[in-house]
Order: sequence, then structure tokens, then C-alpha cells
Amino acid sequence: MKVMKEAIAGTLESSDLLVKVAPSDKGAREIVIQSEVIKQFGKQIKRVVAETLDKLSVSEGSIVIEDKGALDCVIRARVQAAVLRGAGSEETDWGTLS
Amino acid sequence: MNGTDDFYTVQPKDAPPEMEEIRKLLASNNLELDDQIEVFVVSRRQGRLVACAGLDHYTIKCVAVADDVRGESLSLALGSEVVTLAAARGQFHLFLYSAPHNLPFFRGWGFYPLVEVPQRVVLMENSPVAIKKYCDSLREQRRPGRTIGGIVLNANPFTLGHRHLVEQAARACDWLHVFVVKEDAWLFSYADRFALVAAGVKGIDNLTLYPGSDYVISRATFPGYFLKEKMIIDHSWAAIDLLLFREYIAPALGITHRYVGTEPFDPVTNNYNADMKHWLRHAASAAAAITVVEVPRACTRGTAISATEVRGLLAHGDFSRIKELVPTTTLQFLEARFPLDMAATR
Repeated sequence: MKVMKEAIAGTLESSDLLVKVAPSDKGAREIVIQSEVIKQFGKQIKRVVAETLDKLSVSEGSIVIEDKGALDCVIRARVQAAVLRGAGSEETDWGTLS
Repeated sequence: MNGTDDFYTVQPKDAPPEMEEIRKLLASNNLELDDQIEVFVVSRRQGRLVACAGLDHYTIKCVAVADDVRGESLSLALGSEVVTLAAARGQFHLFLYSAPHNLPFFRGWGFYPLVEVPQRVVLMENSPVAIKKYCDSLREQRRPGRTIGGIVLNANPFTLGHRHLVEQAARACDWLHVFVVKEDAWLFSYADRFALVAAGVKGIDNLTLYPGSDYVISRATFPGYFLKEKMIIDHSWAAIDLLLFREYIAPALGITHRYVGTEPFDPVTNNYNADMKHWLRHAASAAAAITVVEVPRACTRGTAISATEVRGLLAHGDFSRIKELVPTTTLQFLEARFPLDMAATR
């Protein structure tokens, strides 16, 4: 799956995150994560984001995340929502996303 | 989210009753209502307007939260609302104007500082990497040489005056980088203006032509420029655009000189030229100074050529006079686009 257009999901509020996706001009998967808890949980957040993108088979796209201390399940949900909006895909196999 | 907060949007052009409340809230935060804002997100609490954020295309301005409701989640909810509103309007790459002392507050909105006019204003954008990516792409276009020139053209439309400016600059430089203002805000579309510049600078070999960008005279970097017809340019807003050029674009391309035409008619543009010398060269900045070169305007019949005059003549369908002011490529375009029977006759 590729990110074909810009899209966002989430909010900037505490315990949430804002995910912005856009087509990549380099034809690669580029992830930028900013988090208020990057020192404590940076590795974990990166892993959750990468796993979520892997499950969606995202090969191309720029993914910029502004995290406000969200739980893993929230991170997954917001990343999925942003990518699916950005891919403009109508059909989603929700079973593969769990 | 705080369930008691009720956000909604207000469009200044409809002159809604909220405008007076917004004006008061801004005034209590030492801000003025900006005329270019298309839509405000506002929040009420117990009937009182307590927060607002304005959106001018892709730039957020006039953000205020009442004193007594600060320190709650309201401001972050306001940020989420305005970012979501912009996305719904198709704007994802956003800019934001803030007083410098509020910079940390807007970091919480996911905005990162670009340039600052000390004690006055800071321009931020909602990406930690976008400006770096843009500069990296420019850096690939670097050319060797001691004198590297830069020009920013609006070219509405491209005239023999623009041609003269570009020729003079290219002659004086080892390489010349030319940018075309991207916005669609004038008589001629960006696509048309760019095509006419590309056709008009043909034959000048030591030159790279760039598509416009949000970072070069855009609604974000220089909102006042888009009020030019109304003769208002706010100095501090020219400063933001010029500092951005000096601190990011010029270093990426190694630009040492910026070229601009002299301005005999328009006091606003003449002020802009003076600002250019100040902010590119004399003002304190971490970036190297850039030499500003004013090239005397090309003349026909003793009068300096201007695009404004071409547009005026076009309104009267006076192609015989236009022919003296524009290159063949622009003339052919104008004749095709404005056939004589369509132009206003007198």
C-alpha cells in the first residue's frame, strides 16, 4: 500500500496523537516521530508504528507523528486511520489489522 | 476532550455578531484582527467567547485564549480543531504566526519555528522536517562560482523589464537561480506565469528556474504581499520572507547576491526594496549577509516597463502598445487569451 494523498488522524490532546501522512517524494517509507515521552517510550512507540505500517503493507509514504503520550492501542488506531485515508482505499480487510 | 467546550466556525465575510467578541479577545492579548483570515474557530463557555484561532488559507493567525481558562485542555483542543478544519479544506502543510514568547505553547500544537523577527513575530510550520527536505532538494541544484545570484519574480505577466533584469543579473553572476511566486492570486495563473517566464528566459544558459514554493513569497511567508493592490505592506511581514530567504534558501544554493528591479512608481514596492537591503544584509542574523543589487528598470519611450502597465493596456485591448513592452512569447499568449473582441473596447 502507498500513501497517495495527504491525510490526518487524531488530535493534539493529552493521551492522543496526531498522525499526518503524505506521499513520499523519495518513493520510500519515511517516519518522523515527535513525542513528549520520547525518552521513556521512544523505542516502543517506533516499534508500534512500524508494526502497524507493516500490517498494512505500507511501502511508500511520509508519516509524521506528534504524540502526546498515547497508549499503544491508540497509536495503532490513529496510524491505521491516517494511512487508510491517505491511501484512498475503499475496501479494507479489518481482520488483518488486529 | 473537555465535554463542555463547544467549538464552531465563523466566517468574517458574513460579518457575524461574533466578530466584535473576537476583536475584543484578540485586543486583550495584544493582537489585531487580521483582514485576510477566511475562517475562525471559536469556543464558548457559558455563553462567553473564550478562545479563537484564525485560518488564512494555510496559515494560522490570531490565536487567543482568555486568561482565566488557560492551563486546561482547551488550548490543545483548539489546536486540534483548527488543524482538522484546515485538513477538511484541503490544507495539510500549515504555517502559524505567533509572538515569540508563545513559541513553546505552539510547539504543543506540533508547530516548529522557522524564522523570528526578534521581539515581534515568529513563523512556525507543522513539520519538523519539511524545510530541511526543501533545502536538501535545493542543495542538489548548487552550482560552483564566486557570485551566485537569486531573483524572485511574480511576472504578472512576464515583460521585457523582467527579461532585462534576468539578463543583467545573469551577466554579473556565475550562476543565477530564479524563483516564480507560486500563489494563484492574480490576473494570470501560476501555471501561465511560470510558462511565460520559462519561455521568456530561454537562451540564458547560466540559470536555473524553480517552481514557486510555500517558502518564497507565499501567503505564509509574506501575507502583506497579497494585499499589494490595496497598498498595504506590513514591514515585519516582509522581514519574515526575507529572513527565510537569507537563512534557508540562500545558504542551500550558495546565493551571494539578490537582484531586484528599481521601483520608480510604486512606493510600496520601493519600501520593499529598502526592507530587502535591511533584512538580507544589515540585520543581525546567524546567516551570512546577501548583497542586494537594484538593477535600473528597462525603459521604452523613456518610461520604465511594468507589468501593471501591461495589465492596464490589456483592459483596453491596446496590443500595439503592449507589443513594445513584452517579448513575443508573452504577446502571443496574451493575444490568444484575450482576443480583441473580448477585451473591453473604448
